[in-house]
Amino acid sequence: MKKAFLLIVVIFTFSSCVVVKEYEKVNINDPDMKLTNYGIDRFNTNALLYREATSGGNGGKTSGGCGCN
Amino acid sequence: MKNIIKFVLFFFTIATFAQNDSTKVYKKRVLESTEVDFLMSYYEQNGDNASVTGGIGTEELTDLSPTIVVSIPLNEDDILTVDFGISAYTSASSSNLNPFDKSGASVESGAKGTPWLAASGASASDIWYGLNTAYSHSSDDRNFIWEAHASYATEYDYTSIGFGGSTAKLFNQKNTELNIGFQVYLDNWIPEYPTELDSYLEAGEDLNNGYFNGVSILNQDGFEIDKSGNSGPIWNPENFDFINDKSRNTYSVSVSLSQIVSKNAQGVLFFDLVQQKGWLSNPIQRVYFKDKENFYIGNSESIPIYTSRENTDVFHLADDIEKLPDTRHKIPIGLRFNYFINEFLTVRTYYRYYYDDWGVYSHTANVEVPIKISDKFTLYPSFRYYTQTAADYFAPYNENISTDNYYTSDYDLSKFNANQYGFGVSYTDIFTKANVWKFGIKNVDLRFHQYDRSNGLSAWIVSGAIKFVMQ
Repeated sequence: MKKAFLLIVVIFTFSSCVVVKEYEKVNINDPDMKLTNYGIDRFNTNALLYREATSGGNGGKTSGGCGCN
Repeated sequence: MKNIIKFVLFFFTIATFAQNDSTKVYKKRVLESTEVDFLMSYYEQNGDNASVTGGIGTEELTDLSPTIVVSIPLNEDDILTVDFGISAYTSASSSNLNPFDKSGASVESGAKGTPWLAASGASASDIWYGLNTAYSHSSDDRNFIWEAHASYATEYDYTSIGFGGSTAKLFNQKNTELNIGFQVYLDNWIPEYPTELDSYLEAGEDLNNGYFNGVSILNQDGFEIDKSGNSGPIWNPENFDFINDKSRNTYSVSVSLSQIVSKNAQGVLFFDLVQQKGWLSNPIQRVYFKDKENFYIGNSESIPIYTSRENTDVFHLADDIEKLPDTRHKIPIGLRFNYFINEFLTVRTYYRYYYDDWGVYSHTANVEVPIKISDKFTLYPSFRYYTQTAADYFAPYNENISTDNYYTSDYDLSKFNANQYGFGVSYTDIFTKANVWKFGIKNVDLRFHQYDRSNGLSAWIVSGAIKFVMQ
């Protein structure tokens, strides 16, 4: 948890010193820069949900909805 | 089916209100026009540790999953998404819920079964159906977004009703985004049990009655036992009983904080808090105790080679189904960090640490490097490393203890690590020149992943998707 807290601090530190304007976000807005899984990866993510004891932390389903995890 | 209709009606009602509320001031639409995604995947796996047969046996499985996702812009601010999919699978291990083939153990020619071959019973294949409907609204300045969703899913031994919502707040000139969401699943088992255990209780615990009438039961030495119990021990799965509480509910809260770090880099930090309550074991999964004598049905000569694939005609009678605690708390926490190196190359990274109160800890690391080889084609090589500790209640085949409160031989809860290699290709045409009726093709995606676990399970999956945009 300490590491997580440190990461939050780091991110907020960045946020306080850098502001990227809308017109400067060409690269940030590239589809491959999205901070989520691609839609097509849903099947692979679902297979891993069945084959591993863990779940969650991917911005999608955490648990439930199946008898798998 | 009634539930599905209710969900759809509910969301269309909301959609109607939302349309009336739209403003006449010009705004860029959140979604320009209706999009339709057709997706499909095919999955295959194999391994030697099937949980249905107590941690030993074939894990052969195939799954085909066609899915359609329709996203409809209801006005400048609101989007309705309907997602329907099925998952049609065949599973050798599930088929061994009844390993003695569909005619049952009492066949005249003698009952045979094995954990190493698929049986021909009803549980050999099934179809899962799932419907998810979501509605999202963005504020006029696009700095506040809320979303609500509901889902329904069913398969032969399980039903699920889910709902949830989330809000996202963007600030710092849209450089920072805080997202908070919740999710509830109210699931229920329609329990199926291993045939011998189910039949044992139905026959009044009498091995000369019902299903077991006329069937020879063998001991570890291969000798037929006296089923009356007058001259030695008999098979007696005394721990087994039918499930009373069939519910399996999940409650989760998710928080994420994303931040643009520079013109070329951004990241997100996230965590979930998950609580599960109810029957968290899977009633089809057998357990064998090392402090109980072993009993078999089938060919006595194959008992010494029971755990090898050469065993084609003897089956070990279960001592119980797996038992796990009725609560579980999970905490996954992690981050993503993406870096735009140049117009050809991007690096996408992901790390997650996971902890739960069943004793499972895990680390997951993933890196993906999209390579744009032209203005329309991108390649997606990727690698994922995963490692986990075993749950406190896991033991291999025939290694659990009957006096423990909880036990399982499900190798998904064992200690292992896994590597996954992936490769994909994507075609994108932002001008959607190719048309099918009123729809233009915007994206075509193809992905392949090979997954290898340190305990021998191996799997691969190929997925494809086509996105159409209404013109």
